[in-house]
Amino acid sequence: MREYAFFLGCIAPNRYPGAESASYKTSEKLGIKLLDLEGASCCPAPGAFGSIDLDIWYAMAARNLILAEQMKKDIALICNGCYKSIWEVNHKLKHHPELKERVNEVLKGIDMEFKGSIDVWHLAELFYDPEIVGLQKIRDSITVPLEGTRIAVHYGCHLMKPKKERHFGTTEHPTWIEEMVAALGAEPVEYRNKMLCCGAGGGVRGYDLVHSIDITNEKMINLKEAKVDALTEVCPFCQLQFDRGQIEIEEKFGVKYGLPVLHYCELLGLAQGMSPQELALDLHAVSCEPFLEKVL
Amino acid sequence: MARTKGYPEALDKKLADTRLYEDERHPDFTKTVEKVSMTIPHMCFQCGTCTASCPSAPRSSYRIRKFVRRALLGLEDEALTDPDLWLCTTCYSCTDRCPRDIAPTDVIMAMRNLAFKRDIVPVNFLKTVQAIYTTGHGVPNNDVNRAARQKLGLNAEPPTTHGFPQYVKGIQYILDYYELKKNADRIVKEREG
Repeated sequence: MREYAFFLGCIAPNRYPGAESASYKTSEKLGIKLLDLEGASCCPAPGAFGSIDLDIWYAMAARNLILAEQMKKDIALICNGCYKSIWEVNHKLKHHPELKERVNEVLKGIDMEFKGSIDVWHLAELFYDPEIVGLQKIRDSITVPLEGTRIAVHYGCHLMKPKKERHFGTTEHPTWIEEMVAALGAEPVEYRNKMLCCGAGGGVRGYDLVHSIDITNEKMINLKEAKVDALTEVCPFCQLQFDRGQIEIEEKFGVKYGLPVLHYCELLGLAQGMSPQELALDLHAVSCEPFLEKVL
Repeated sequence: MARTKGYPEALDKKLADTRLYEDERHPDFTKTVEKVSMTIPHMCFQCGTCTASCPSAPRSSYRIRKFVRRALLGLEDEALTDPDLWLCTTCYSCTDRCPRDIAPTDVIMAMRNLAFKRDIVPVNFLKTVQAIYTTGHGVPNNDVNRAARQKLGLNAEPPTTHGFPQYVKGIQYILDYYELKKNADRIVKEREG
């Protein structure tokens, strides 16, 4: 059993607890144990904090990293926004000694020091990595194959972009999450402009909601065209934007889509036999019933 | 500027807005943006791949290419007071596609940092700061969610600063060190009374 410090972030534990619960249970079946990272905070939100003062963003993210350094465990997380903060600050502080010094100067005041002794991973990349879990192991863990369903993937931005700094290869047309969807027995579906942003990031959702959900609406139009049963993603903030965003789109633009949006961990949970109640799918703004009827 | 004799006055007036005046330029601005952003806007040859890749461009007047141009011409006021500055979703599509290896997204982030130093910042950004100062979370827990968590067999409070509030002190120390909470409170009060 590999052990990781589980960095929760905000939206998964405080809005979609089913995604958190599913992460513990599904990864345990795949040989990954997620440990509590006590006292972790918001990553902090890369859009809000990065826009105000990058130095504060570095220092706040470093505090979270140090908590995991003290546990001597790598971090695993389930949100692209958190990945941007936690992975990128870890990377920057490791490679820019003068930055690390500046941050440690501040953290001295709370008896903390960034050492750079751990790595940060998105749970999805650990699932995909054949040396850690891999597709075969995912397939073997499935008890309720999602056969007969068409599922589209939203990759989100901050996991793989900017590609020069990351290690995921192409950001124009990736297919690795589609492979993971196919491993659940579902049919992964391509759609127009797949890599388009969900519209929530950079503080835009709070700054100009209509602008933000207009981007989401463009994605929804493209998804409708592809006739999918559900959308899956690996970022609770994107999930919030697509899920609650559909209600907002209905209010502001008068268009109704009713497309269920599930985090990959929730989808994996369903395929591993977890019930919709165990995944708190009733907390989703858009009902998952039409999708569940096809699956269960 | 050289003028043709009898230059039509109407055209002169029309072009007035598009002329670049030396006194609007701050060469230091270019240098500061490069330092904060850790990227190279001066390499830009204005191809427009960034704007073409931008999800915000088709639905607003936000043009990232224009901001990169402003960065290297040193047009500080024009860049920082433009409300479009806050429409970047930081999706990094422009950064991935830039043929000159610039990170336009980081140019925007640097400009936002510099704007904040002049109190130019939308209130929603500051409210996130205030929420994190109080609870450690930008999106804090609520009662509906607590009940749902318990039904799932999780603790009502996640094992973060919610479950271990003693850790909030460290966060408050960092934010106070930069006087961020003080400034956020002041600006929100000025805007909303």
